Amino acid sequence: MAVNGSNAGTAGTTRPGKPTAKYRAKYSAFSLIKHGLTKGDWPRAWRQHELRKHYDVVIIGAGIHGLATAYYLATNHGITNVAIVDKSYVGSGGSGRNTSIVRSNYLTPEGVRFYDRSVKLYEDLSADLNFNIMFGQMGHLTLAHNDSSLRTMRWRAEVNKLEGIDSEVIGPDDIKQIVPYMDTSDQTRYPILGALFHPPGGTVRHDAVNWGYARGADLRGAEIHQQTEVLGITTDRGAVTGVDTSKGHIATGTVVNCTAGWASLINAMVGLKMPLVTHPLQAAVTEPVKKFLNAVVVSGSLHVYVSQTDRGELVFGASTDPYASYSMRGSLEFTEELAGHVLELMPSIAKMRVLRQWAGLCDMTPDFSPIMGFTPVKGYLVDVGWGTYGFKAGPVSGEQMAACIAMQRVPELISSFDLARFAEGRLVGEKGAAAVGH
Amino acid sequence: MAESRRLTPQPGEVIDRSSPITFRWEGDSYQGFTGDTIVSALAANGVDIFSRSFKYKKPRGVLSATFHDPNCTVQVDDEPNVRGAHRQLQTGMVVSPENVWPSLKFDARSANQVVGRFLSAGFYYKTFMKPAKLWPVYQKILGRFAAGGITRADAEHGYYDKRYIHVDVCVAGGGPAGMAAAITAADAGKSVLLVEEEYDLGGHLRYGSADELAALARLRAQVATHDNIEVMTNSVVTARYDMNWIAVIQRQPGISVKGHEIHERLCKVRTGTLVVAAGLIERPYVFEGNDLAGVMLSTAVRRMINLYGVLPGSRAVVLTANPEGDACVDNLIRVGASVTVVDARTGGNVVRAKGGKRVKSVELADGRTIECDLVVTAIGWTAPVPLLNMAGDRPVYDKTAARFFPTDRVAANVLVAGALTGDGTTSELIAHGAAIGAQAAGSPVDVTALARVAHPEMYRSTTHGIVDYSEDVSSKDMVAAKKEGYDSIELVKRYTTVTMGPSQGKLESVNAVAIMAEAHGVKDLNEIGTTVWRPPYVPITLGALGGRGFENTRFSPIQPWHEAHMARPLVAGDWIRPEHYGNPAAEVTNVRTNVGLIDVTPLGKLDLRGADVPRLLNLLYVNKWLKLPVGGVRYGVMCAEDGVVMDDGVTGRLSEHHYMMTTTSSGAATVWEWVENWLQTEHPEWEVHCTPVTTGYASINVAGPRSRQLLRRLVENVDLSNEAFPYMTVRQGTVAGIADCFMWRIGFTGELSFEIHVPAAYGLHVWERLMDSGQDLGIGAFGVEAQRIMRLEKGHFIVGQDTDGLTVGYGADLDWCIKLDKDDFAGKPELVWQSQRSNYQRLVALQPVDPTVVPAEASQLVEGTKSIVGRVTSSRMSPTLNRSICLGYVEPRLATPGTVVTCQLPDRSRVQLTVMNGLAHVDPDGSRMKV
Amino acid sequence: MISVPCPWCDERNSAEFRPAGESKKRPDVATTTPEEWRTYLYTKSNLADWVTETWYHRAGCRRYFAIERHTVTNDIRTSRLPAAQIRLKESRG
Repeated sequence: MAVNGSNAGTAGTTRPGKPTAKYRAKYSAFSLIKHGLTKGDWPRAWRQHELRKHYDVVIIGAGIHGLATAYYLATNHGITNVAIVDKSYVGSGGSGRNTSIVRSNYLTPEGVRFYDRSVKLYEDLSADLNFNIMFGQMGHLTLAHNDSSLRTMRWRAEVNKLEGIDSEVIGPDDIKQIVPYMDTSDQTRYPILGALFHPPGGTVRHDAVNWGYARGADLRGAEIHQQTEVLGITTDRGAVTGVDTSKGHIATGTVVNCTAGWASLINAMVGLKMPLVTHPLQAAVTEPVKKFLNAVVVSGSLHVYVSQTDRGELVFGASTDPYASYSMRGSLEFTEELAGHVLELMPSIAKMRVLRQWAGLCDMTPDFSPIMGFTPVKGYLVDVGWGTYGFKAGPVSGEQMAACIAMQRVPELISSFDLARFAEGRLVGEKGAAAVGH
Repeated sequence: MAESRRLTPQPGEVIDRSSPITFRWEGDSYQGFTGDTIVSALAANGVDIFSRSFKYKKPRGVLSATFHDPNCTVQVDDEPNVRGAHRQLQTGMVVSPENVWPSLKFDARSANQVVGRFLSAGFYYKTFMKPAKLWPVYQKILGRFAAGGITRADAEHGYYDKRYIHVDVCVAGGGPAGMAAAITAADAGKSVLLVEEEYDLGGHLRYGSADELAALARLRAQVATHDNIEVMTNSVVTARYDMNWIAVIQRQPGISVKGHEIHERLCKVRTGTLVVAAGLIERPYVFEGNDLAGVMLSTAVRRMINLYGVLPGSRAVVLTANPEGDACVDNLIRVGASVTVVDARTGGNVVRAKGGKRVKSVELADGRTIECDLVVTAIGWTAPVPLLNMAGDRPVYDKTAARFFPTDRVAANVLVAGALTGDGTTSELIAHGAAIGAQAAGSPVDVTALARVAHPEMYRSTTHGIVDYSEDVSSKDMVAAKKEGYDSIELVKRYTTVTMGPSQGKLESVNAVAIMAEAHGVKDLNEIGTTVWRPPYVPITLGALGGRGFENTRFSPIQPWHEAHMARPLVAGDWIRPEHYGNPAAEVTNVRTNVGLIDVTPLGKLDLRGADVPRLLNLLYVNKWLKLPVGGVRYGVMCAEDGVVMDDGVTGRLSEHHYMMTTTSSGAATVWEWVENWLQTEHPEWEVHCTPVTTGYASINVAGPRSRQLLRRLVENVDLSNEAFPYMTVRQGTVAGIADCFMWRIGFTGELSFEIHVPAAYGLHVWERLMDSGQDLGIGAFGVEAQRIMRLEKGHFIVGQDTDGLTVGYGADLDWCIKLDKDDFAGKPELVWQSQRSNYQRLVALQPVDPTVVPAEASQLVEGTKSIVGRVTSSRMSPTLNRSICLGYVEPRLATPGTVVTCQLPDRSRVQLTVMNGLAHVDPDGSRMKV
Repeated sequence: MISVPCPWCDERNSAEFRPAGESKKRPDVATTTPEEWRTYLYTKSNLADWVTETWYHRAGCRRYFAIERHTVTNDIRTSRLPAAQIRLKESRG
């Protein structure tokens, strides 16, 4: 490949895992008290830099995938001459717009293994990053309102169990125990027949993950360049030679597309077309009320998922908008449908108010699985097509993409997510039970 | 109880002193008047404190006295987060403060005020990382600090409603400019919707001078004369979406449904032009102690005095930088308060306010400290630009006027009127509104722009204070966050949560931008930019958004009989069907022995007519259709273009150019669109007419060895003998006196059976006649469950259960059906390529070695500890064989009949299953149905 | 809610329609290759620009038609019959 096979790990290399920055502020209860007493300033969580003329690796997109890739390139492989460029600020895209649900109860063994690795990384991430990402493993319920979705839940549970994942189908009475507000009677239009219960699932503070990875990558030498838009990618004889940005040209042999929403536009810069369609995914949040919901609740049939934050707000999401669009303006029909469905599940919260809605962009693939790894353009790697599940895969994607770049081969864990699978007719089995699956 | 602060009647007051209202607050009984808000009534009774702050639990009093007042959110009965400074009093209301424990007067957690210095913004990101085990405990404690009111699991859902409105002009804001715009647009003959957030039209004129009150009276009278202006008060244009799709939330519209008062109504408006005349919102000033009770905005003081006749304080210090502040001074003096004026225009400033539960003194920039019980600030305005933002605008800051203004980037069908665009006298505002209204009506007018009057730029004094009241974020927090690298307005918002609380930054967003500008050392607020406003502008209840449930629910015309016979309902998409009538196994046995009826009305039915129907069928199904004779019926499978099994069903040829296609119940809508897609976008030259008749016919399957015997009693004009009406043929005739029925002989259950399709209106009649006539034959109804058992006994797969989103044709054992020698059909290329491979799982029949075990559907077939080699897709106990039977998928190497595979059950125990020869467990030759 | 101009029914709320995605030409089944066929099935231009799409007026006239829509602004500038119907009309004069 273009650069990394030979000279990755030369410039800016240190022993893996060791922060290189001269300044360092370890976060702890003790340091909080000390700062409180001295009223001193905290150092920057990540620094600002002048854009240099060359980096070993340029990562496009300062969201969780891009930042995690940079972090693991440094910690696991000692590759630190890395620039992460973003046209906006850290975590401004999908990484800061998702509903922050984490789970691993997927349908296929390869999906389960991949997302389970992510859950494991999330469990240790606060300590690893020295940044509290507030992972609350309150449990995750996927409701079934008809025989066929109950069968799909069972299918997932059985595959999960074989993979060692805590996942079980439970009945309406158990659901009522976990979520007392739920209408589990058979008097509703779509009675709840059961649910897939996944105790390790939960939510994370999404911004904290972005900032924690940004700080961790920065401490180890990677450079974060916000407000630096990629305008083009230069190639020579089918291999990447550099990136044109709004702040100037960067020479590099390795470019990683870690964008969501704009992945097709970046791909077009090297002349590639992929099976991606960009759809807005909307979310909404209510005013806070005292905590009453102690699980993430998902209903595929009713196209809704909901959880309550530590602040007391309910956070809602639904399925993606029906037509392709790069608009993040949000729509009324989304909140109407969402509210109607939430109230079918929990009718007593009708007087809670929706405070804010927003949208993020999702690059949907035909088989509800990402596209990761090498492409026909030498030195151009992708970590795209994350649909509506990019956040939960952030850590493992960063880890695996870093390994892919450093080792110059595709790690086993992501081998089924290759681009060639579409042309070769090897779609990933998550399509087998496609539904809203947060 | 404290002494009354109610003033003598004031000129513009909105309370009715002849109509007292009793309500409860914190357990005690209070009295106010009709027209009072919760907060004005409490304030009149001497109550100062309405809430505690989110983080530090500091006592909070009135700030803006509007809906957006961040300090006056209360619980009313079972409704959380009621805006107490807006919601009008109602008799018997039980009001309590939120976010306080154990009480408003003594909040135990206010110890946070002492340790506050350690709780810098984002402190929680910096601690509790280790040991990880303890984080859930910490998280629970943090959760207790959550703001907001309480919900109840048993609270009533209540009634909600929606309304669609189509108007030429929608005016957001019923102040002088908005009213004037509505009047001129209406004068030009346009239909107008005028939406006002407060309970009355008028905006700031309502608490203004005698002249302003007179102007208001004139405008209201003019609005009232127009039939083509609809006025909505206590309502807000809360969002603008693409193509002027507008959400208006109408609070307590005074409408009842089934005797229940509607709490809120969502009006969905498609308007030609949206006129935004939202006025201005007064902005708080940032200084130490700015969140003490008794520190108020000048407009809040004027509202309290003039609208509600309440004295907010008797010894006031007023920091004023504008005429509205001066008017506040006049108001206070008029009602007998002593006032110290601090004029910002001549260098006066407030440094800090001090006090405990209420402000006691204020320190001024000139060094004086003044004892007081009220500190008033009038230091400038926030332009409420969210609707403009949603219409594509990014407003620009004007340093001279010290506020943001709209630009011409706003969408062409959105106009802006009044104070959002500039300053003016009442008559200038009215003239501007009138000109914009004319423009909205399409009249060519010159609009004289309002002037932008110079205003001191005042955001923060020399001390630090609260920027976001609902989130308890101070300017100090923001500066610290900026130094930590959260240096853009979006990052600081996310890190400190400034502007993210229930008031969404309506009062404080510009202050936040100004603090960031200061922290960056830039003079121009435009360099910082603003955050993007997201809908809704004001919060909407889930109830109003959800409205009344209008989910489709379909019943067959035979439903009354099912209900009378205790059918257990099964939700099958839109349809509610009988799952069984008590004992599905007995229903199976009865069909196999006597005769049974099942209501299969939900079966999708498409009436196809025209010369080219055979070509259409040949293209949609994987098998051949060109030679189906008149009277013939054939089973077919459809695959999508990716070769995945999509639907199946039988299609019969009723006459030369007339076919009837059936689809699965759940696939009916999809197949119809699929048919239309091919006809309209690929083969418009074909002569085919497609009409969906699913609900045009009631469909009854008569199954069992005695079915012919039964039908002979009721069918006319059709020879039912096996020779005249053999298996897989269709006939038309009269059943139970009903003409225009068609029936075909097919065999999903595996028995001799006739599927009768009856004009829907006669469905119940025919069903009942069949039931009556078959009593002596042992007739019984059977439900979906019995049908599922019988089809599994026969090995018929169900699309979507025994196939999934990746099951390509040959995987479902369709080798016999797929005809690759056809020129073309949907999905053909993928099936050709699949036929050249062998690496796909196969659908097989399976029987547990232990015949009493029924493996749960979706149980996995395994090898070793975790290697998955297949799964069970259908399983039942067969009453016919008296043993368990299954369908499922296995790896190709395991598909040989006789192979024994291992199945892991949900309880993790394992059982052995034998792969069978062919899919049918019962009567593989079909001898029972071809008689 | 965007408003979609149906060639038969005029402007209607988008909720009445089913968007069927980018309009594409079906390859010739007799000669197609796996690569061409799967590009037809899966690969999208996904432009942030004007695109030609097929929509179906599900709760209206039940007609398929083509529109040009801008995927950033959601503005719609043309609405016409499906290409095959236009070709047919032309061939029949």
